[in-house]
Amino acid sequence: MVSVLRALASVRLTVVGMLLLACGSVLSYGNPEAVSIWVLVVPLAFLALNLSSAIITNPRIHRRKGLLVFHSSLLGIVLLAAIGRLTYLDAHLEIINGATFDAQSLLDLKAGPLHSGRLSDVEFIQGRYTVDYRPGMSRGATRSYLQVPDGEGGWREQVVGDDTPLVVNGYRFYTSFHKGFSPIVVWTPNNGQPEVGTIHMPPYPLFDYRQANRWTPPQGEEIKFWLRLNTGISQDSAWVLDGQRATGVLVVDSGEQRVELQPGETVVLSGGELRYQSLTTWMGYKVFYDPTIHWLFFVSVLGVLGLSYHYWTKVSMNSVAGVNRRSLDEPGQNPTDRSRNGGAFRSAQDVVKL
Amino acid sequence: MNELVSELPWLWAGLVAYAVATVMAVYAVAQPDHDGALVVNKFRPFELPVLGLVAVGVLLLSVALAERWMRIGHGPFVNLFELLVSQLFSLGLIYALVYWRVPVLRPTAAVVLPIIWVLGLWVLMIEPTDSLFPPTYHNNWLWVHIGFGKVFLSFCLVGAGLAGIILLRRIERMKAWFSMMPSDAVLDNFAWRFMVLALIFDSLMLIAGAVWAQDAWGRFWAWDALETSAFLNWLAIALGIHVRFSYRIPRAVGAAVVVAVFVLAFFTYFGTPFFSEAAHKGVV
Repeated sequence: MVSVLRALASVRLTVVGMLLLACGSVLSYGNPEAVSIWVLVVPLAFLALNLSSAIITNPRIHRRKGLLVFHSSLLGIVLLAAIGRLTYLDAHLEIINGATFDAQSLLDLKAGPLHSGRLSDVEFIQGRYTVDYRPGMSRGATRSYLQVPDGEGGWREQVVGDDTPLVVNGYRFYTSFHKGFSPIVVWTPNNGQPEVGTIHMPPYPLFDYRQANRWTPPQGEEIKFWLRLNTGISQDSAWVLDGQRATGVLVVDSGEQRVELQPGETVVLSGGELRYQSLTTWMGYKVFYDPTIHWLFFVSVLGVLGLSYHYWTKVSMNSVAGVNRRSLDEPGQNPTDRSRNGGAFRSAQDVVKL
Repeated sequence: MNELVSELPWLWAGLVAYAVATVMAVYAVAQPDHDGALVVNKFRPFELPVLGLVAVGVLLLSVALAERWMRIGHGPFVNLFELLVSQLFSLGLIYALVYWRVPVLRPTAAVVLPIIWVLGLWVLMIEPTDSLFPPTYHNNWLWVHIGFGKVFLSFCLVGAGLAGIILLRRIERMKAWFSMMPSDAVLDNFAWRFMVLALIFDSLMLIAGAVWAQDAWGRFWAWDALETSAFLNWLAIALGIHVRFSYRIPRAVGAAVVVAVFVLAFFTYFGTPFFSEAAHKGVV
C-alpha cells in the first residue's frame, strides 16, 4: 500500500498533472462554455490524488509545517471547488417594481445536482431604481431600492447595486446592467373580467431604439406595443435614469388600428378593451449561490500563510545577501571563475541549504 | 496635435531618469574588469547613482500619476496608458527597494532597467486618453488585487534579471560584463527564491482578485481570458519550482524557465486585457 502511495506521490506525476491542467486551461482559454469541463476536472482529480499521496508519504512535505499547510490547503481548495460545483446555483432574474420575489421566476437557471438551498424562503420586494450616467452614456452607480424582512414581522429598506449584493440565505442578488421599463396594462375581454399585466420591454438604454414587444390576448388579435419614452437621456451630459421621473407613450398597433395611449387611456380592440394604466420599471439581477465561497477564501489564505511561513523559515535569502556583499567588496573574488573563487561560491548549496 | 495633458512632463522626466540609470548601469557592466593586474568591482562606483536615478524616476512618475488622478478623478486602473505608467512606477519602486536591500543583485540593473524601459518606450507611443471608471471598480479589493499583482510582477522581473545574467553569460562577450557577480549557481538560487516570493504574491493576487470578481460580477472565477492567463502563470511558477527543487536541471534551462514565466506574466498584464472581450477587459 505504501509503495503504491509512494508511486502515486511521484513529482514526475505532479509535473504530468500540471502540464495536463495547463493544456486543459489553454483549451478552454477565453471560451470555457464551448469546451468540456473534463479537460479541467481530470487533471485536477489526478493532481488531487498525487497530492494526497505526497502529503502522506513525502517527508519533504509532511515534516515541514509550512509546506504541509500549503499543500493541504491546495487539496482543500480542489475539494471545496468540487463541492461548490455540486451545490451551486446560477441564474438571472428580472423583477417588476412592486413585485415580490418568486423563486419560480428565475431565468437561465443552472444548479448543481446536490443544490439544496432555501431559495423558496428568500423574501424581498423590488422597489424603484436609479442609475447614474456620465457624458458619453457611461454607466455609473446603480441603486436598487428593496424592501426586505426586518426580522420583527415588518419590512425595512435596503439599497443594493453594482458590487453590493442582497444576500439572503446564502443567495446573492447582484444588480445587472439589464433593467428597463414595463407598461402596466389592463385587458378586459368582451364579456369577461379585467386582467392586469405588464408588457416587459427590452433593456434600457441598451435598446433605447427598440422598446417594443407583442402580445396576443385570448380570443383576440396580436397586439404590437411600442413604448416612446421620455427619460431625459443625454449622450453629451450626465443624467440619471429614474423610473419615477420617466414618462412614456404606449403605441398600440393591432389589425388596422394604431393608437397612442397616455397613462389612464383606453382603446377598444378586436376581442376586448385595453387600458394603459401606468408605466413602471423592471430590474435585472444575477443570482449566485455557492456555500463554499467563505471556506474557499479561508483555506486559500491559510495556504498562502503556510507557504510564506515555509519561505520565511527555510528559503530566506538574507544569508546569501550577506555573504555575497563581502565577496563583491574583495577584489579578485570573481565568482564566475572557479579558479579564483576561493571556494566562496562553489555551489549554491554551499551558501543556502534548500 | 493633442493638448499637452498635465501629467506628461512628469512622465517624460521620470522616463529620462530611468533612461540615464539604464545607460549608466549598462555602461558600468560593460567596462573592463581589470585595472592593471587588479580585478575590480566595476559596478561599485555606479551603485549609488543608479539607485538615486531610479528613485528620482519613481518620484517623478508618482507625481505624474497624482497629476492624472487629480485631473480625471480616479486611479490608474483602466486603460493601457494608465496600466503602463503605474507599472513603470511600481516596478521601479519595488526594484529600487530590492536593489537597496540586496546589494549583491545591483548589477542586475543592467538587465532589469532595459526591460522596464520597454514599458517606457511603449507608453511613449500611446495617447494619454482619459478613461471612465466602471462602477464596480469602487471596491477596496481592487486595490488589494492590483497591489499584490504589482509585487508579483516585480519579483518576476528581479528573477528574470538574475536569470537573464545566467543566460547572457553564455555569450562569450557578455561573460566579462557580469564577472563581478556571484556564480551562476548562486544567481540561480537567488532567482528561484524570487520566484517562490512571486508565487506567494501571485497566490495573494488571485485570492484578492476572486473576492473582487465576486463583488463586481457575481462570480469568483469564470475562466475568462485574463483569469485563465493568470492561472497559467501561477501553474508555470509552481511547475518550475517543482522541477527546479526536485531535479538537477541545467542552470541555463532553469534560467530560461524563469524568463519564460516573466514573459508569460508580462503578456498576462499587458496583452490579455486588451484583446479579450471578457469582463476583465477593463471598461466594462
